[in-house]
Amino acid sequence: MGEDFQRNQLKELKETALPCFQCGVCSSSCPVFRVSPELNPRLSVDSIISRGKVPSEGNEWLCAYCLMCDQRCPMGVSLAEILMVIKNISAREGKAPPDVIESAESLMADGCQSPISSRSEKQREDMGLPKLPRANPADVQMLFRATGAAEVVELNRKAVEEASE
Amino acid sequence: MKFAFFPGCTMAYRLPFAEKSIRMVAPHFDIELVDLAFTCCPEPNTVRALSDDTWITFAARNIALAEAEGLDILTACAGCHESLSLAKHELDKKPERKNKVNELLKGLGLEYRGTSKIVHMHQQLFDEIGIETISSKVVKPVPIKVVTHTGCHLLRPERILHVDSAEVPVKLDMLCEAIGMVPLDYMDKTMCCGAGVRKTNSVTSYAVLREKMTSIAMVEPDAIVVFCPTCFITFESGQRVANRIFGTDFKFPVFYYTELLAIAMNLPGMDILLAEHRVKIELPASAETKEERKTGAKDSIPSSP
Amino acid sequence: MTTSHPKGSSAGPPEAEVVSSEPELRIGVFPCKCGKNIGAVVDIDAVAEYAKTLPGVVHVQVNTYTCADPGQREIQEAITQHGLNRIVVASCSPTMHEDTFRKTVKAAGLNPYLCIMTNIREHVSWVHQHDPKSATQKAMDLIAMSVAKAATLVAQPELDVPVTQAALIVGAGVAGMQAALDLADAGFKVHLVERQPTIGGIMAILDKVFPQNDCSICILGPKMVDVAKHPNISLITMAEVESISGYVGNFEVRVKQRPRYVDMDKCTSCGDCVEVCPVDVPSRTDQNLTWQKAIQIPFPQAVPSSYFIDPEACLGMDLIRCGKCIDRCEQEAIIPSDKAKYIDFDVGVIILATGFKPADPSKTPRLGWGRFPNVITTLEFERLINAAGPTEGKLVRPSDLIKPTSVAIAQCVGSRDIGTRSACSNYCCAESVKCALLIKEHYPDTEVTIYYQDLRMHGKYFEDQYLKAREEGVKFIRGRVGEIQQYPDTKNLRVSVEDTTHNKLSMETFDMVILSMGAEGAAGDFPLPISCTSDSFYIESHPKLKPVDTSSAGVFICGGAESPKDIRDSVIQASAAAGRAAIILQKGRYPIEALSAKIMQDLCSRCGTCVSRCPYGAISQDGTGKFTIMGALCQACGTCAGDCPQDAIYMPNFTSQQIEAQIETALAENPSDKIVAFACAFCSYRGSDLAGVSRMQYPTNARVIRAMCSGRYSVKFAQKAFELGAGAVLYSGCHLPADCHFQTGNVWMAKREPRIRGWMKRNNIEDERFRVEWVSAGEGKKWQTIMTEMANAVKTPRKNIPTPKTQTVAKSEKSAKSKTKTTSKDKQAGKPRSPSKGASQKKTTRKK
Repeated sequence: MGEDFQRNQLKELKETALPCFQCGVCSSSCPVFRVSPELNPRLSVDSIISRGKVPSEGNEWLCAYCLMCDQRCPMGVSLAEILMVIKNISAREGKAPPDVIESAESLMADGCQSPISSRSEKQREDMGLPKLPRANPADVQMLFRATGAAEVVELNRKAVEEASE
Repeated sequence: MKFAFFPGCTMAYRLPFAEKSIRMVAPHFDIELVDLAFTCCPEPNTVRALSDDTWITFAARNIALAEAEGLDILTACAGCHESLSLAKHELDKKPERKNKVNELLKGLGLEYRGTSKIVHMHQQLFDEIGIETISSKVVKPVPIKVVTHTGCHLLRPERILHVDSAEVPVKLDMLCEAIGMVPLDYMDKTMCCGAGVRKTNSVTSYAVLREKMTSIAMVEPDAIVVFCPTCFITFESGQRVANRIFGTDFKFPVFYYTELLAIAMNLPGMDILLAEHRVKIELPASAETKEERKTGAKDSIPSSP
Repeated sequence: MTTSHPKGSSAGPPEAEVVSSEPELRIGVFPCKCGKNIGAVVDIDAVAEYAKTLPGVVHVQVNTYTCADPGQREIQEAITQHGLNRIVVASCSPTMHEDTFRKTVKAAGLNPYLCIMTNIREHVSWVHQHDPKSATQKAMDLIAMSVAKAATLVAQPELDVPVTQAALIVGAGVAGMQAALDLADAGFKVHLVERQPTIGGIMAILDKVFPQNDCSICILGPKMVDVAKHPNISLITMAEVESISGYVGNFEVRVKQRPRYVDMDKCTSCGDCVEVCPVDVPSRTDQNLTWQKAIQIPFPQAVPSSYFIDPEACLGMDLIRCGKCIDRCEQEAIIPSDKAKYIDFDVGVIILATGFKPADPSKTPRLGWGRFPNVITTLEFERLINAAGPTEGKLVRPSDLIKPTSVAIAQCVGSRDIGTRSACSNYCCAESVKCALLIKEHYPDTEVTIYYQDLRMHGKYFEDQYLKAREEGVKFIRGRVGEIQQYPDTKNLRVSVEDTTHNKLSMETFDMVILSMGAEGAAGDFPLPISCTSDSFYIESHPKLKPVDTSSAGVFICGGAESPKDIRDSVIQASAAAGRAAIILQKGRYPIEALSAKIMQDLCSRCGTCVSRCPYGAISQDGTGKFTIMGALCQACGTCAGDCPQDAIYMPNFTSQQIEAQIETALAENPSDKIVAFACAFCSYRGSDLAGVSRMQYPTNARVIRAMCSGRYSVKFAQKAFELGAGAVLYSGCHLPADCHFQTGNVWMAKREPRIRGWMKRNNIEDERFRVEWVSAGEGKKWQTIMTEMANAVKTPRKNIPTPKTQTVAKSEKSAKSKTKTTSKDKQAGKPRSPSKGASQKKTTRKK
């Protein structure tokens, strides 16, 4: 991890982004760009190609991952995947949105991305739906730690606390 | 056909009535569902955005559970389907990633081998069971005008998912036709519902929904049909939020496809499930059953096979 | 394909006449710096010093540009001064200059086939720019391999063949017509074959042509009439070339002509028949925007000026089913019994002017063509604005036939997209500006917006057009259209584009959208194996210096079949092709390669395997059971030799002995790091050259051995390489099934793969160390990928090297079987076998 990891990621990003010739098909197909011009997938990629930098404004978190850009890119650049890597890098810098962190924490706690309430368990029962088997929380937490997400979550928590202080 | 059933967190705990409808229609199409101790798929925009390795490991664990049982996975949510399919694609393509993931799974007594297929209910109904068989099970056609929204994560990436044409999806329309509905073409049919960005910026999310809804409203459908619980919630609850934020006036009923299928098949107990919908619809029953319905349809339901 | 023997060609030399009388080997090596092209990476002086140590080398001379006049002179002087009898020029690809240097040595009195080249530019300096040390080592190895090969080169007699002074031109669009008129005017007979019922091609259906916007059919029509009337042109429409056999100067052509059902001589084009024909078919000329009858003429100016019947649509040319046209035609021109005809003729040269296809808009579904009626293509627009078109030149939108008040033009549809064609289609920018100007000319109030990615107005006078369009108020917005959506009520279109100049999304509504369609390659569907690019355009012999030649002698290309281009460029190319073809026709004789195969009779077991391998029918058996090869028919692919169980076929300049010497030399040191890569001359080797020309970098492990065709690669070459410890072996050829320039060499090579793999398995050699790959001349990138992947494969040391024991057993068995034969074979090959082995041994000792 650390610097080497980031450098490698940037190198890989550049390679994936390189075929992009800035035609604008991605941005004109992007539902988010249509309502929030801050997210322009074309400019995110341009930043990587022409400035050799991962954009740091955090706009990529606005990506809905609908893959429209990915589908239509005439050069076959997987823009959604590039934006995903940019999010990964941004998360490692403690810039992940709080709600995203919350979801991850919920997954870490009970294997589901939003907390399972007793009300919804009851509702299932009333409808005659089976009680779903659940993963062993210890296993979930082990995987979470071993794959780096726990670290990222903690880092972002700290960042939020620092900001509020 | 026996499947490991993957309803996904959203359907299981926020849309249980939609899950119920799947479990209701399944036996009629020889689908047997097995429940396994799955976790969240996991959702790309939260988990994967934080850590790609975490995402692929959890997905691999889920698939490995099914593989251990020798079962393919039947998904109900477009998001889960896409997430598991992409993870599978990546693991099957890159042995070094697979090995890395398996190192971790070994501790849980699991191994990802790549033997289980990921199949969405949409694919199972259209590609395997087929329109004709579905039509043959319809006893009470549902004569309403609908727009369909297949969902981004069933359509794209087309090169990996192969569910329907990413630019001109028609299969869900045909599934709707098969049960007596009239699908309408509309602008922005393949556009996202906006769900993916809700956790980051909810106003943007509802603005995307507003755009989509504006295009839907142009053709004045009776309802919106989806094949994804997340899209369902975005449309059904989201339109009210959008109305509050933007002063619009959307109130379209929304259905998960198998709910309508269950209705068309006249399966008992659908009324209770439909009561869970936030935007209600008075379904105009098809000509032959209309009278029946007005004079206490509830009694007639249990008599069907 | 039919095969037959050519008439009057000077036959090859009699069997087994290959004898070298030179007493002593005196090899000259000429390493070239190619300016900085080689010199900046490869240490040429070190290479030269090394070359001096190689066995048989008596003279080494470095030059900055060996191919330039002084460089060539130096070679000639060295031949005389030092009595050189074998020449190795270590410079660029033999594809580039083999011919040049053969001529050079010939002028100095040496047989040209005693000169070979070592490719240290495309295979070394250009692809290993960042590793001068390994590049220099590779250059040394490659030269050593060439020297080892040169040691057994044998002089080959030069032959020529007579030339039939007639040409076949395929395709009668503007390019084919121009080429036909040029050759016919020069006095040569021309057979002009066209698939459609009329000549004229795409140009005949355009309205106006840029940049002067003159009327297309007004300038093309007279030319079409000239073609029809020219005494030297035999025009065959509704026809396709069925088969071609033979070779340069002596092609035998068979054309299949579909029935027209109308007697062209009797038909006066009065059109009476059309009035009574009850069947409507979509009009091809009008891009399916309107209807024509089953009996029809494509357009009024069609040539030949005669109707024809579309048999698919016709109800029946008899009075029971219909027969109305027969009844009506006063000239009695309808021939219900008309049948397909075969027309045979001989020609000396062939020009392919088969054109391109307009790209298919349904391959870009995000733009809605086919779903939204008001989204049309540029060709559909041409018909709508054309006075002879379905609306008599009134521009209306298809959904409601109302004049559009706003029109958008979307650029790059079917071009610059890896899903369709990744290259630019060249003509579409100018075409769109012309369309915009035509709209403005007819309807000044209609708003026109062109959405472009890069506006490429590159041609003469084009920029003036652009300026004029801007003056006329045409809007130009930079940004490629992302999607088009149709309003459900009005059928108006919403065009989504990011205005990339201002980083802003533009979602404008238009009455109509024109998709500026690019070109799709249509080449390759022809009974001659001329190699094509991955997007189906014919590949030229050299992109700059031989742009209308192909790698097959006597076959030329022009117009849209070569690459997408406009009318002016098509005409220029057509005249160029005609000129090149006339050079061959006018001389009357054509020299052919002297490298045809010979059977070494005393080794031949008369099994006849070679007969089935030869795609040219060049091998036959006489009454005594003896097999012989007809020199002029043989194209020297070596597929027969590749499968000869007795190794009894002698391939000049590509003998088994020479190839094995190259393998031995390549693997003399650190063999497990080496990739012995076989590449065929027309596809794979050119693919590797392209990787060089494109400066695609890859690791230095490969030692390339060139053969004419992949059919030449025997099973035993791979075995030999593995026995000597090679890290990996590559057999690369033209793409299966039909890309092979020798028709089926690649197919036969592919059949050897299981045998090699079986042998590898038995000898415990990992599967991934051997690869069979199909690399076209257009796939430099693929070559780079293969080289890089194979270099990874050789990083791990060999698990097992077959013990020399098995090797000797196999060999001794063989030699025991044919002891006497081996001796005679050596004699016939011109040189004893031992020198090459001795040479490589000597070399290794010196190196050590």
